[in-house]
Amino acid sequence: MFTAARVHTPSMLQWVSLITAAILVLPTGYIIYVAVTAAPSVWARLWSTRIPELLGNTLSLAASVALTTLGLGLSLAWLVVRYEFPGRRVWEWALALPLAMPTYVLAYVYAHLLGMGGPVEQWWQGMLGSDARLLSPQGFPGVTLIMALDTFPFVYLLARGAFLNLNLSFEEVARVCSISPWATMWRVTLPLIRPAIAAGLALVVLYVISDFGAVSLLRYQTLTYAVYQQMTSRYDHTAASILSLLLVLMAGLFLVTERWFRQRSRFYQTTGRYRRPTRRQAGPLGTAAITGYVALVFGVSFGIPAGMLVQWSGEAIGQGALDTRFVGFVWNSSVLAALAASGGVIIGLPLAYLASRRPSRLNLACLHAAYAGYALPGPVAALAVLVLFTHFVPAVYGTVIVLLTAYILHFLPVGLQSMEPALQQITPNVEEVARTLGCTVQQSLRRITLPLVRNGFTAAWVLMFLQTMKELPATLLLRPVGFDTLAIRVWLEASEEYYQLAAPAALLIVLLSLPALMMLVSKDWRGREQEIAS
Amino acid sequence: MASFHRTVFSFALILGGLLASTFVTAPADAADKLVVYSGRAERLIKPVLDEFQSKSGIQIELLSSGTTELVNRLQAEGDHSPADVFLTNDAGSLEHARELKLLRPMNMREVERAIPSQFRASDNSWIGLSGRFWIVVYNTNLVKPNQVTSLLDLAHPQWKDKIAIPNSGSEYLQAGVSVIKATFGEDRTKQFLQGLKANAGTQVYQKSSQIVEAVAKGQVALGIVNHYYIYRHLAAQPAAPIAAIMPDQQEGGMGAIMNVTGIGITRTSKHVDSAKLLVEFLVAQAGQKLFADLDKEYPLHPDVKADPVLVDRHSFRAALVPLARLAELRESTLTLIEQVGLR
Repeated sequence: MFTAARVHTPSMLQWVSLITAAILVLPTGYIIYVAVTAAPSVWARLWSTRIPELLGNTLSLAASVALTTLGLGLSLAWLVVRYEFPGRRVWEWALALPLAMPTYVLAYVYAHLLGMGGPVEQWWQGMLGSDARLLSPQGFPGVTLIMALDTFPFVYLLARGAFLNLNLSFEEVARVCSISPWATMWRVTLPLIRPAIAAGLALVVLYVISDFGAVSLLRYQTLTYAVYQQMTSRYDHTAASILSLLLVLMAGLFLVTERWFRQRSRFYQTTGRYRRPTRRQAGPLGTAAITGYVALVFGVSFGIPAGMLVQWSGEAIGQGALDTRFVGFVWNSSVLAALAASGGVIIGLPLAYLASRRPSRLNLACLHAAYAGYALPGPVAALAVLVLFTHFVPAVYGTVIVLLTAYILHFLPVGLQSMEPALQQITPNVEEVARTLGCTVQQSLRRITLPLVRNGFTAAWVLMFLQTMKELPATLLLRPVGFDTLAIRVWLEASEEYYQLAAPAALLIVLLSLPALMMLVSKDWRGREQEIAS
Repeated sequence: MASFHRTVFSFALILGGLLASTFVTAPADAADKLVVYSGRAERLIKPVLDEFQSKSGIQIELLSSGTTELVNRLQAEGDHSPADVFLTNDAGSLEHARELKLLRPMNMREVERAIPSQFRASDNSWIGLSGRFWIVVYNTNLVKPNQVTSLLDLAHPQWKDKIAIPNSGSEYLQAGVSVIKATFGEDRTKQFLQGLKANAGTQVYQKSSQIVEAVAKGQVALGIVNHYYIYRHLAAQPAAPIAAIMPDQQEGGMGAIMNVTGIGITRTSKHVDSAKLLVEFLVAQAGQKLFADLDKEYPLHPDVKADPVLVDRHSFRAALVPLARLAELRESTLTLIEQVGLR
C-alpha cells in the first residue's frame, strides 16, 4: 500500500497542500468580502464614530509598548551577554519566564494590586496621606506597562541570541579606528543586530494589536477588543468584519515592513574568523546595580504576579476550588491544546515540506497563504470561522471542530516558523548520501530525515500547544456547551473580580507553560535567526 | 515515504482518539439532560440550576455567555442547535429570538397562574422570571441623595469625570436607552447620551459589578447599574459607602426603567418535557423565592416577596414602555448609541 502511494506522492502532496492553502485563506478572504460589500452607510457610521479613536488607540499602544520593550529587552540582553556577575546564569533564563504568564493574568493581578483601594495604594496613602493617588492600571500608561512587562522577553531573547553570535572582530576594528565605545555601539553593534531587533519587535507588535484579554480587563479600547464587542452586541457581523479588515490590513502592512527592514540589513559575514565576545567581570558596585535592575524587572514581570497567584490559589483551594469541575477544565484545556497542536503539525507538514524541498512558486505561495492566519487576531479568526461554518456547514457549529479550526488557522504560522527551518536543514544531499551508502528510502527517512526534523517539529507542537492553552477570545465565542477551559475560567472569574477564584486556573496555565518555555530557552531559542537572515 | 506515512497515520490516530474522547464528554441525547444557554452571569444562575438538578435528577449543561451572542449562536445553529432552554437578562433579546422563530410557545397553566401577562410574550414564547431596575448607585461620601432625581441628570456637566457607565454592548444599556428614547424622543436622548459619554470619559465598564466596585471605592461618585448589584455588593461588604437612588420618580417623571430576566424553550428542543419542568420549577413560589433571594431581584410571582433589604416594590413606579417593544426599538437605539460614539 505504501509502495503504491509512493509513486503518486508528489502530486498527491501537491494537491493536499493546495487544498490546505485554499482553506486557510478562505476565512480571511471571506472577512474581506463581507467588509468590502458592506453597505456604505455602515462604513460611514463606523468612520464617523469608532474607527478614528480605535485606530489611534491601537497604533499608539503598539508604538509605546514597542519602545518600552526595546529599552528593556536590549539593555537586559546587553547586561547578561557582556557582563559576568554572580547569578548571571539564573537571571539569563529567568528573564524569559514572563512569556509563561498570559497577558490577561498579568493584567488582572495588577488591576488588583494597583487599582483603587488596592494594597499598593493603601501603602502609598499610608506614607503620603489619604489623598495620594497612584497611576491607574487602567488607561494608556498602565496598559503600556503591563503589555511591555509581558512581551519584553521577545526582544530580550532575540537580542541576546544576536549579541551572543556577534563577531567581536567588527567592534575591535571600530575600536582600532579610535571610535568611542558609545559610537561603536551605535554605529557597529546595533546595526548588526538590527534584524534580530526587528524580528523581536515584530512579535511584540503583533502580540499587542491582537491581544484581547488584557485590554478588555483594563478597559482600553483597541480594534481587537472592539471586534469582540461588535460581535457580542449586534445581531449581524458586518461592523465586526469591517473593523477586522482594518486589523488584517494593519498586521499585513506591518509584516511587510518588517520583512523589508530585515532584507535591507543583510550584512552578515559568515566567513573568516569568528570570536565570541568576552564577558567583563562586574565590580561590587556594578554587580549591585545590575542585580538590582534585573531583579526589579523580573520581580514586577514575573515574581510578584506569580507570588500573588500562589497566595490566592492557596486561599481558593482552601475554599474548595479544586473540585471535579476544575479537573474537567484542565482536561478540556489539555485535550484542545493537544488536538490543535497535532492538527497544526499535520496540516502544516505538506506545506512546509513542499516549500522547503521543492520551492516552486506554487509551493511557496501555498506556504505564504498559511501565514494569512498570522494577521488574524483571536476574535477575527473566530469571526471568520464562525461565519464560514454557519454558512456552509451549520451542523458542525458549536462543536470542538469549529474551535479547533479557529486555533489552527490562528496558530499555524507560529508552528510553521519552527517546522520550515527544520525541514530546510536537510538538504537532499544528506538523503542521497544515505542512499549511496545502501539505505532504502524508508531507512533514510527513518534514520536521517525524521531525527533531523524532530526537534523543530517538537518545538512547533509545543508552541502551538502553549498558545492554544492561553487562547481566550476565539474560545469565548466558539466553545461548545459545557466546555470551559482554564483560560475561560480565569477570564470569567477575573472579569467579575473574583481574583482568588481565578488564581488556580491562572497558576496552572503558568506552570504548564514552564517546561516548554525552558525547553525553548535552553535551545537558545531562535538564536538561528541570524542564519536565516544571512 | 512509509515511515512518513506511518508518522502521519499515528498522529491521525491520536487525533481521532482525542476527538472521540472529547465527544464522549459532550452532551449526549439522553432524555434526562437539558442544555441551557444562559446570558446571565454564571454566578447568578448556576446555584438555582444546581438546585433544580438535585431535585429533579435532570442533568444541566450550562453555557454562559453574552445574551446577544447567544441569540446569534442559536440563529447560526438553526435546526442543529443543542440548546433546549434560553435564559437571558433582557426581554428585548427574548422578543427578538421569538421574532426569529427560535422559541416555541409554552402552553402551561402554571406559567399563566404565576407570571402576570405583561411580563410574558404575547404567545408565551418567553416568560419573565424576575424584575430588575436600572438605577443610580452613588457613593454616600461624595454625593447627597437629593442631587440626582432622574437618570437624565447624569448628563449634566457637574458630573464630569464622576460617573461610571456600562459599555454599549450591554443589553440592559440598550434596553434602558430604548425606553428613554420612547419616552423623550430621539433628540433629547441623543443629548443625554452625549452628556453621559462626556461625563463617563474612560469609566466605561463591561460588568455592573465593576461599576458598583468603582463607586464603592470612590473612584467615581455615581454609576448606572441594575439594582441588585448594589445589594449583592452590600451583602458581601456591609460597610461599603454606597446606596441606591430610584430615579425618575418625580411628579410626571418617566418612572424607573424595568427589564426582566426571562426564559424560553427553543424551537428545536428535543427535551420539551424536561424543559417545561425547569420552567415550572422557576415560576413556582419556591423557585421564585430562591431566585429572588439569591439574585436580589424582584420576583414576578405576585405572592412572592422580594428580599426585605430592597426598596419596597410598591413604593416606586416603573416606566410604561411594554417589554415586548424593546426588541423593535433596539436597532434604532443601537444606531443612536453608535452615532454618539459610546464605547
